[in-house]
Amino acid sequence: MARLGVVRRLGSGLAVLWAAATASYLALLLAPGDTVDILVGDGIDTPEIRAGIIREWGLDRPEIVQYLSYLWRLLHGDLGRSYQLQRGVGEVLATQVGPTVQLTLAAAAVGVTLAAAIAILTAGRGRAARGVASAAELVAVSVPPFLIGIVLLAVFSFTLGWFPVSGAQGPSAVVLPALALGLPIAGVLGQVLRGGLERALEQPFAVTARARGLTERALVARHALRHALIPAVTLAGWFTGTLLGGAVITEVLFGRPGLGRVAMDAVTGRDMPVVMAVVLLSAVVYVTISTLLDLAYRAIDPRIRG
Amino acid sequence: MKRLIPALLLALTACGAQPAAQQAAPASLTWAIETQPITLNPQQWSQNKARLLVFNQFDALLTRKQDGSFGPWLATAWKVSDDGLSYTLTLRDDVTFHDGTTFDAAAVKANLDQFRVPGYNPAVAAIQLRAYKEAKVISPTTLEITLKEPDGLFLDFLASPYAGQVSPKSLRSAKDLKFGGPDLVGTGPFILDRYVRGQEIHYRRNPAYRWPRDGAAHQGPAHLPEITYRFLPEAAVRVGALTSGQVQVIEGVPATEAGLIKSDPGLSLQTALNSGTAFSYYFNLSRPPFDDQRVRRAFREAVDVDAVLRSVYQGTATRAWSIVGKASTFYDASLEDTFGGDVAKANALLDEAGWKQRDAQGFRVKDGKRLSVRTVASAAFVRDRRDILAQAIQAQVKQNAGIDFQVRIVDQGTAQQALDDNEYEIFENSRGDSDAGAALNLILPRGGAINRAHFSDARVDKWLAEAGATADQGRRKELYAKAQQVVVAEKAVVFPIYVPADQIAAQKSVQGLGFDPASGTPAGAYDVRIGT
Repeated sequence: MARLGVVRRLGSGLAVLWAAATASYLALLLAPGDTVDILVGDGIDTPEIRAGIIREWGLDRPEIVQYLSYLWRLLHGDLGRSYQLQRGVGEVLATQVGPTVQLTLAAAAVGVTLAAAIAILTAGRGRAARGVASAAELVAVSVPPFLIGIVLLAVFSFTLGWFPVSGAQGPSAVVLPALALGLPIAGVLGQVLRGGLERALEQPFAVTARARGLTERALVARHALRHALIPAVTLAGWFTGTLLGGAVITEVLFGRPGLGRVAMDAVTGRDMPVVMAVVLLSAVVYVTISTLLDLAYRAIDPRIRG
Repeated sequence: MKRLIPALLLALTACGAQPAAQQAAPASLTWAIETQPITLNPQQWSQNKARLLVFNQFDALLTRKQDGSFGPWLATAWKVSDDGLSYTLTLRDDVTFHDGTTFDAAAVKANLDQFRVPGYNPAVAAIQLRAYKEAKVISPTTLEITLKEPDGLFLDFLASPYAGQVSPKSLRSAKDLKFGGPDLVGTGPFILDRYVRGQEIHYRRNPAYRWPRDGAAHQGPAHLPEITYRFLPEAAVRVGALTSGQVQVIEGVPATEAGLIKSDPGLSLQTALNSGTAFSYYFNLSRPPFDDQRVRRAFREAVDVDAVLRSVYQGTATRAWSIVGKASTFYDASLEDTFGGDVAKANALLDEAGWKQRDAQGFRVKDGKRLSVRTVASAAFVRDRRDILAQAIQAQVKQNAGIDFQVRIVDQGTAQQALDDNEYEIFENSRGDSDAGAALNLILPRGGAINRAHFSDARVDKWLAEAGATADQGRRKELYAKAQQVVVAEKAVVFPIYVPADQIAAQKSVQGLGFDPASGTPAGAYDVRIGT
């Protein structure tokens, strides 16, 4: 039974990937403008050059053939060549994936840690503490990452000189970008977590636990947190998206290498193979995360296992 | 939103750390640049802003000076035959590539012939090397190049990044020829060490270097033992990195922050006008209302260009008077003060053209149709706050003459579609070619590749063809001046607005910074040094 579940999961994962690949292919096909125009860009445009580009990229074949050959190459792990960068897409992504993973993991750690800390410290506390925390969370959520990033830079890099502005050379260079990316996550996650904790603390088991002489802090940490986690974990899927999207702005702002930067250049330059590869990669990440979340639900709440 | 940021940054940094002028001068230099190179292979070069990187690693055969004339570089002398079909180059005999191989006539021939490889660079093969027939090695230091037809722009090619000499050995062995990288080597003053996409590019000094271009400030190896270029696309971040001493040099200083840098005693700011064409609005002559010359003139007169430039660029922009930029040797200065800023004249012209009525919003109307004109620009090419500039012009033509000017900033595909469908009245463009004639050949002739104005004049076509076939710079200047008179004064096809410029800001301790005389973009690091 369990094995069937895994197979079904894998199958639906593959279907999602195929749908993502096809949708992005169609979107680019239907977008205004001609691929050749895009490749010519601001450069010199003559019939000879156009013919050269068409030959070079095989654009004279019917779209369906181009699509199928694209899928075929994909199945063989060949992501194609970037129009703009003139290099293999796999190679481009391989060199850029490391810094992005480093950044997003750091940002997720910042978001989760801050959210948990604030929620545990303020759940069920006085109105003042709650008010301050909510206000901070609201600010973190509503201010665009670009602005958060530039304020962090102005204060901690340009004025105080604590952290360098650019690059992925050392651990200190990841602090500010991770904060810029992690603060909005902390904001949303913190609100949800505190709401969950407070609901849990009103439930009968909390009364029983208190009656057993458990301190309020221990009650929150050992029992209520587990209940509050379900909605928060569901949100983890959402924040994966935030991280990928936010990485674009953050990487450009801080002059960091990474996938976000590559993706943005590819979209503005309509660099089809790179855009498709990034879409696919995001789909893979989503599928993986949602699978892991399913497993996590079962670990957190045994009732789901049945 | 974005405009708010610089002010905010200014406020935050102004009260903050002292600039690093007092710190000990570092032996190596970090320079923050705006644009990432798409490729490091000079023969694939397409971004004018990447010239400063190209000429660190590679040397061209000739160099082009500010007055438009050519000077020696890897070629010490050149002779053009009377029929313009044969170019004989005399080469230096003491030059070695970074991989230890010798630079000689066979290497130059290999570089030229590389463009013949299908798909290597179809654009250059079809344009700059269109006339190239063959190269013959006469001796290790003498090369004879034969053309199929005379080409007045061939010397410009020999002085361009495309003529950056690449070791033939590395042309064969480079892992990724189109992209280049550390394994595609040249003869330049710096050796490329590493490139981290999205982050930085690092060079170290070539200790054997002793063949700088004519006009360099010194001889022998470069002053700096190493130099790092960091990619920081956000202008406010570049300025912050400079004022906090994290980098010593930046390029691309927005007008809003020029004041901050000028007022800082530890920093210096240099500006140079780009060569090529001025940023201009080209009127689409193929459809109403700009098929009527009176309406074209009225649009130009309705705008107080000086006031617009002052408000958008805070006095840092240079007004343009011709399609050709002021820094080009082909610029026709007699066009200065010939148009613009006469509101009464603008209204008289529109009345005369039949746009007499006004609708409820104050826009002019004729036969029930509003006087509306559109510009469609691809966001990827909107720089120098040209979106804000367009809004300022929009307000002026509305207020002064009742013209409805619609500005659309869209993605590249949509912009291309609008151009293909002829659904625009104004086409905005500037080009950074080191030889403005190259740009005119694309913009003005009937059927020219970016003749988006649909302009057609047999006289202009003839002058451009003649100018393109002669290497006589004086004659070319005469012919291009005549063409400028026609399109700017006589026919009012174009509305020149400002001459694009580049800026370099640096800590005062950094010396020897300057601009590439051919293009007006920041020069490479060969003459740059720290201290005195």
